[in-house]
Amino acid sequence: MAVAVFGVRHLSPSGAWHLRQFLDERMPDVVLIEGMSGCEALIKDIVRRETQPPIAILAYTDELPVRTVVYPLATYSPEYQAMLWANEHHAEVRFIDLPADVFLALNEVAPALEVEGDGDQGGVPTTEEMEAAAQEAHPTDNDEDGTWDDSMALEFAEKRGPSLYERFAEQAGELDYDSYWERNFEHNLSPDSYRRAALELGNGLRDLDESSERWQAENLVREAFMRRRIQQVLDSGVSAEKVVAVVGAFHAPVLGDDWPAMTDEEFARLPRRASRLTLMPYSYFRLSAQSGYGAGNNAPAYFDLMWKSLEQGALDDLPHRYLTNVARRLRAAGTHRSTAEVIESVRLARTLSALKQGLAPTLRDLRDAAITLIGQGEVSRVAEALAHADVGTAIGHLPEGVSRTSIQEDFERELKRLRLEKYRSTVKQDLQLDLRENRTAKSADAAFLDLRRSAFLHRLKALRMEFARPQTAHQQQANWAEHWQLQWTPESEIQLVEAVLLGETIELATSYKFQDVLSKCTSVTEAASVVRAACECQLFASMEQARRRLQELSVETSDFAGIAQAAVELGAVVRYGDVRQFDASSLRPLIAELFVQGSLALLPAALCDAPTAQVRVAAMEQLNRINLEFSELVDEELWTAQLHRLADRDDRSPLMSGYACAILLERGLLTNEELSREVSRRLSPGISADLGAAWFEGLALRNHYALIGRQRLWECLADYVTSLDDEQFRPAIVFLRRAFGTFSPLEKRQIAENLGQYWGVSADLASELLNEELTEEEEQALEGLNDFDFDDL
Amino acid sequence: MAKKKEAANNAAALGTQMLRQPAEVLYADELEALIAADRDDRPQGWRMSPRAVLTYIVGGKAGGKEITPKYIGHQRLVEIAISTLVTDRALLLIGEPGTAKSWLSEHLTAAITGDSAKVVQGTAGTTEEQIRYTWNYAMLIANGPSPEALIRSPIFRAMESGSIARFEEITRCASEVQDAMISLLSEKRLAIPELSIEVAAARGFSLIATANTRDRGVNDMSAALKRRFNIIVLPTPKELETEIDIVKRRVAELAASLELRAEVPTDEAIEKVVTIFRELRTGQTLDGKSKIKTPSGVLSTAEAISLLTNSMALAGHFGSGTIAADDIAAGLQGAIVKDEEKDHSVWQEYLKNVMKKRGAAWRDLYQACSDQAD
Repeated sequence: MAVAVFGVRHLSPSGAWHLRQFLDERMPDVVLIEGMSGCEALIKDIVRRETQPPIAILAYTDELPVRTVVYPLATYSPEYQAMLWANEHHAEVRFIDLPADVFLALNEVAPALEVEGDGDQGGVPTTEEMEAAAQEAHPTDNDEDGTWDDSMALEFAEKRGPSLYERFAEQAGELDYDSYWERNFEHNLSPDSYRRAALELGNGLRDLDESSERWQAENLVREAFMRRRIQQVLDSGVSAEKVVAVVGAFHAPVLGDDWPAMTDEEFARLPRRASRLTLMPYSYFRLSAQSGYGAGNNAPAYFDLMWKSLEQGALDDLPHRYLTNVARRLRAAGTHRSTAEVIESVRLARTLSALKQGLAPTLRDLRDAAITLIGQGEVSRVAEALAHADVGTAIGHLPEGVSRTSIQEDFERELKRLRLEKYRSTVKQDLQLDLRENRTAKSADAAFLDLRRSAFLHRLKALRMEFARPQTAHQQQANWAEHWQLQWTPESEIQLVEAVLLGETIELATSYKFQDVLSKCTSVTEAASVVRAACECQLFASMEQARRRLQELSVETSDFAGIAQAAVELGAVVRYGDVRQFDASSLRPLIAELFVQGSLALLPAALCDAPTAQVRVAAMEQLNRINLEFSELVDEELWTAQLHRLADRDDRSPLMSGYACAILLERGLLTNEELSREVSRRLSPGISADLGAAWFEGLALRNHYALIGRQRLWECLADYVTSLDDEQFRPAIVFLRRAFGTFSPLEKRQIAENLGQYWGVSADLASELLNEELTEEEEQALEGLNDFDFDDL
Repeated sequence: MAKKKEAANNAAALGTQMLRQPAEVLYADELEALIAADRDDRPQGWRMSPRAVLTYIVGGKAGGKEITPKYIGHQRLVEIAISTLVTDRALLLIGEPGTAKSWLSEHLTAAITGDSAKVVQGTAGTTEEQIRYTWNYAMLIANGPSPEALIRSPIFRAMESGSIARFEEITRCASEVQDAMISLLSEKRLAIPELSIEVAAARGFSLIATANTRDRGVNDMSAALKRRFNIIVLPTPKELETEIDIVKRRVAELAASLELRAEVPTDEAIEKVVTIFRELRTGQTLDGKSKIKTPSGVLSTAEAISLLTNSMALAGHFGSGTIAADDIAAGLQGAIVKDEEKDHSVWQEYLKNVMKKRGAAWRDLYQACSDQAD
């Protein structure tokens, strides 16, 4: 004798309602649910009164790389209601699907397969079996979660272009399959109708199954296992009449005795990956984001409302409630809509439904009625209110002490301690932090609340949790101000759970992460950024580690740009020192050391091609800034001596030579005579353009006024340009154009005056001529020059 | 019964001489087939069930007869429109010029009441009397106010007979005049104080209004009046194929009824015109790769249709009888370049940057257009 099987579509309010009726009628002692075997221990927490769905069971591997499988439950999930019912009636619940270990291992085998779906799921490798074929082709190689569920295979087919289901819906005059389903299944309350219809549907689906072999194979394995579990229950002495199995409708037809159950041997052969389990809050938004996931999924808030109406025996009120919600939301946002309009929209929705001979309006009818009346024909007016009524911002809640990972608990504790709890919401919120001491605060803790918050958020960032995202602070260079955007999502919860493998608390996990990065890092820049990040996270032990690593690396390196970048990072940390309440003195010697290395690396680094020189010029600027900022600390003489040497050399990158001159000039280390001499030497006729003009470009990158004030320089330049032959003139013009691009119009005018004086024409005339817009012809000629290949020179 | 037939025949006979026949005459056979095959419930005052109306508008089958689609591409909007009329609410169709507002309203009334002629054509000069009623002044002066001296507006007549009236271009009327509709639509009664009577609308009465969003010089509708309408915004066709289909059907229909002595334009020509219109309308090429400037005109589907019929007329009377690139080019130039200076450069740019690069298939048209544009 077979057990009674109730096939459902997951996340179907009507399914949940009918299931409860069915259970009341049968009064089973054991309720079997299609859930991962081994998760039974979590049920007591799931059914606790303080637990508010949506929640999810999360299984994750206990080694890197982390694989996860998520099993979400909403209030209106038939499975959740079955658990509640069993709890109320002291019945036993058992999960009969494959254990999490096997699911996680199966997900790993998947990538070898071909894409079957249209692949619009792209980079989001979830592993709903619904979309198994489409999905499994994408390796779940990153830390995305997989969602484990199989809603009757309906949406799977939907994914594949105009499928059987779509044609089916079209035949019935519906626009999409979801409307068809809702109209025909969700509003039908006649006894036992749902179960029987679902069974028929399941049968039909099995006959028409067009899915991939791989997907079919996995289903067969799962079904064999389910039969095995059912058999085990029966073997334990429970009579078949006292057992009800709740499974996806797709599996419902094949759980009888006619098919063999999985043997011990077969079970032992399944692949496994060791895993752990936890519960996590889920959100309606996340539920809805998984398109094609199941009934009630694209509009969780709407189906939640439907469930509430069903519970109160007032399903007929659903259209009023929904449309009133939309109108209220709109009013709250400042747009007035009268009750009369709501009444009319309910009427329109009912007529639309009647046009299809439906029992009640579907979501689609309601939405269209809302757009026509409440939105006065325009979607944009009601879009926000509709999104709110369809999806909502609800997130689940788990009572304290419920089975969780240590890091989740730590996260909760920290949120509470730092008074950040109100940011635990799916609505994005801004947070401005002032890291300075709050002198009006009573306790030391309170005085540095923002500083501690900042450290916490930086740690989350280091763990790559999406909960907190840094924004650029408005006040530039203000090192005490920080701006964050906080938003809780189920993804961030998953990322958090994944981090447990790095450490038991957030602090430990972050330290471990830094350690890991350091052990792998090979460049000074990387190490320096860890120093900075560790400082922001207030993890001084990690910072010390990073400092040591940085020093080791810096000895070996001669990468000029990298050293400059590292010095800048360290400089920033030292500057932060005070505001972050720590002693940066250990870093100061390192800056000096890096500076020496940077200075010494300058000359060799200047032996490079033009594009590289552009980058290195920026590094020169960085080092120079470090010099000015920490002049008492670093070896300034060495730096200027190196600059002098570079400025004098003809065999190095002319751009960098020129720039060295510019720095020296700015710092008053180049006399007028020296400059004049240098200019006439560099720009003497016969010097090729890529040397002369590039040098001038470097020189002109800084202190324009100092250059403009020197008449001799312009005379040299004018003579030089005149001396160039046609072939040389072309590349020269590219360099010079770039050089003069940084000058302001006023400066250009002054240059014109200089030149005017030299040529003996009036300043105005020269200026007019020089500032004149380019003609189209000239523009084209220049365009051609851009493609000029300088490597041939 | 026989009398009715005769009347229909008379109407048909008259119809052939009309420049443009009303929908209920043009599609009389389809309507009859639909009524004959209709099995569903009919709301009071309706000639056929809402489903049959839907079939009439979006096409399908009635008995053995093929029903041609009248409005293509947005079936859901038609469903909403029909449902609105079932709920005795008034319907307001809004959209850019040429989005088939009047076309849809005419066919809806033709299907539901069999009479699309109860129309108020709104203009800036429309007065309240034209919406409510006016008097035969000779009789008024001679006999004083009497029911015989009353001249009923189309809306008045629709109320009495329980059918549907149409109000074209409602936003062109002054706001005060529009507001005459407010109490009429909510009370569904019309007071005639001169005769101390009040006319109550018979069941089945409703109103379809159309309004334009793009033109300057239209008046805003008051919130109170808007609230009395179910509003549907008619979009421009979403897909290129839909638009081509619409243009093709309408051009063929018009060609037949206007007896244009030219061949119907080829699919290729239609596609080119529709492509040009869509690209200029949306400001980018169909593949979305390059941005282009948009001209000041609307460039609606309706304009594409009239452009092509125009080209047919040109080809028929002055050309070879088949539409050549020249004929289309002349039409394009006229449709696109409205505001001389700006539009001219927009068109030139489009020709140079987009059309010229399209290759051999477009060479003819490009040549013809450039010759015209210079």
